[in-house]
Amino acid sequence: MGNGFYTLFKKDCRMLASGKFFLMAIGFLVLYTAYVNLGYIRFMQMPPYNVYLYDPAGTQAAKSSLVQTVTSMEAMDAALLADANGVGLDASAGDVQVVLYAGAEHIDRHRADYALSLLRPSASRTPAVIGVNTPEQKARKEITCELLFFEMAAVGFLGIAAVLFKEKNMGVLRVHAVLPLQKNWFLLSKLAVFLFSDLAFAALLTLLNVGPSNGMAVLPAVLLQTAVLSLIMALMGLLCALLLKDFRQFTLAYLVITIFAATPVFLSANTSVKFDWIGWHPFYHVYMGLKNAYFCISVSPVYYAGSAAAIVLLFLVVQYAFCREIGKEV
Amino acid sequence: MKGLTFQLKSVLRDKFCLMTFLLPILIAVALNFMGSIDMSSLGKLHFGVLEHDLSPQAVTWLERYGPVDIYGIEDELNAAIHEPSTNVIGVEADGDSLKTTIAGDELDIFQQAAATLPVLYERRAEAEQAEILTLERPDVLESVQDIFIPAVLIVAMFMGCTFNAMNMISEKEDGVALVNEILPMTPSQYVLQKIVVGFLFGSLSSVVTACICFQLPGQNFGILLTLIVLSSFVAALIGLLIGRLSEGLMIGMAYIKIIMLLFIAVPLVYALIGISGPIAAICNIVPSQPAFEGIMALSAGNMSTAAKDAGILAIHCIAWFALYVLTFTRRKRRPYR
Repeated sequence: MGNGFYTLFKKDCRMLASGKFFLMAIGFLVLYTAYVNLGYIRFMQMPPYNVYLYDPAGTQAAKSSLVQTVTSMEAMDAALLADANGVGLDASAGDVQVVLYAGAEHIDRHRADYALSLLRPSASRTPAVIGVNTPEQKARKEITCELLFFEMAAVGFLGIAAVLFKEKNMGVLRVHAVLPLQKNWFLLSKLAVFLFSDLAFAALLTLLNVGPSNGMAVLPAVLLQTAVLSLIMALMGLLCALLLKDFRQFTLAYLVITIFAATPVFLSANTSVKFDWIGWHPFYHVYMGLKNAYFCISVSPVYYAGSAAAIVLLFLVVQYAFCREIGKEV
Repeated sequence: MKGLTFQLKSVLRDKFCLMTFLLPILIAVALNFMGSIDMSSLGKLHFGVLEHDLSPQAVTWLERYGPVDIYGIEDELNAAIHEPSTNVIGVEADGDSLKTTIAGDELDIFQQAAATLPVLYERRAEAEQAEILTLERPDVLESVQDIFIPAVLIVAMFMGCTFNAMNMISEKEDGVALVNEILPMTPSQYVLQKIVVGFLFGSLSSVVTACICFQLPGQNFGILLTLIVLSSFVAALIGLLIGRLSEGLMIGMAYIKIIMLLFIAVPLVYALIGISGPIAAICNIVPSQPAFEGIMALSAGNMSTAAKDAGILAIHCIAWFALYVLTFTRRKRRPYR
């Protein structure tokens, strides 16, 4: 019995290898790792506002070292134009006048008050720190989580669907209808192959981008969440491959997933933009599960129960579709 | 012409293909119906305070800088500070002054704000007297609220790319591509037929989306139409290139994946973070970037930027077409490869 499953599993692995699936996964791993380490980390920096002072009479002797002096109003205009978030202080007329480009109202007030406070610096009080991550660690964890989710949900799904669709077109299902093997094994071996390759991908991506020591600490929780996401996406890919007739039709499935699943989830989970309805979005919970795993925040058991139920339900639907498809062939 | 009719027929018969093109229109209707999404909280300072801790005056003062959330117990406040997606600064009373708490993983700008907040509070009386001269910001959006509509429009325009690529890959898989080789059809006829399907449906669906989302005066609509037509054409061409270059389903998927990542990520990152200097010029290599920028500029009423972006897109059209012709003629010399 086990032998049959093993044969199927080996066949699926060979098929993925010959379809360059593994090679592609490694390629994307390299691409993402290069992006995180060479681009993203440098990119995600927001230094404090620059403050430019024009003070020909030298009235502001006590100014902080963070204030940059300019020699003329023209120089200040040029500096502000190049750095629209900067703040100019004009002390040429006696009283200090704040010059800045309008942005959001609250931020403008803060920028002006902050710039003025730098003219008479006092020891700034270090705020109490309650977290364990540095800004870089946070950025690394966040982007790794995003890339993993995106790879598996939005685009990995398509890869899975492509492989299965090809098999369907090659008539493998027809062969299965007459093989003396349990019908479920066909589905289970597919799920197992994708699960293992996703787990390996997740582990490598996490270790390479979060760092070995931090990565190891979050790895077990991340792998658990990856398994949940991988099973859901593989089952959805299977279902689409069984139901859709023409490969062109995948454009729709693909657009629906990228627009409806990925975009709102990213906005709500990564920025301070929060939608009221996001709680009803199933992918939001899956994404938050993954993100909480990266940030060592505990996940509620209701989520696990829900995702287990979703996986079982999807499996039953796929099984039904598969039996129907085989029935057609016989 | 006859071939084109067949192509259109095959698309129109397929319900899923039609739905693909209707999808952006549906989203546009939904967005219009729901109202704009409030993106104004991006980049703002957020404060969290404990109930009955700060004086009402201090809370009012904090609200000058950004929204203040009040939490019942300390654990809730700490959880909000910890929450990685926001940059909440915890504020507590400390005698006459304030004490701030952060998670330590915030960007420098928020850490600096937290460090200087007590000083700002102590000097609040002086700060209110200062004279502030605000200048109008050139070339920058008034708000990022409407970022979604151009994003949907971009998806609509570049859908032609995905569709063309998928169409050609599936033809290759089914062996139709081989049949095409021996049909009495010139290469230019083939290109025309393939481009027209993606281009026509992509631009039609974008124009309808644009009509639903924007209420623009006549002249602006002309530029918008130019932007849509040019970018749909570029998208259809890129789709064609992907379709021709990819040898199998998996490779085709990889190309589409990369193209989609670039098309959506570049303009969104550009708009949300704000890039300037040489990197901004490099971003224009991705055709969705000038399209996105042009539409955003149009909605802000900035005609010159929109016209510049239309120019960049026109260059894209020529460059991609040249690229296609180059690869195409190279293939033509070796038809039996």
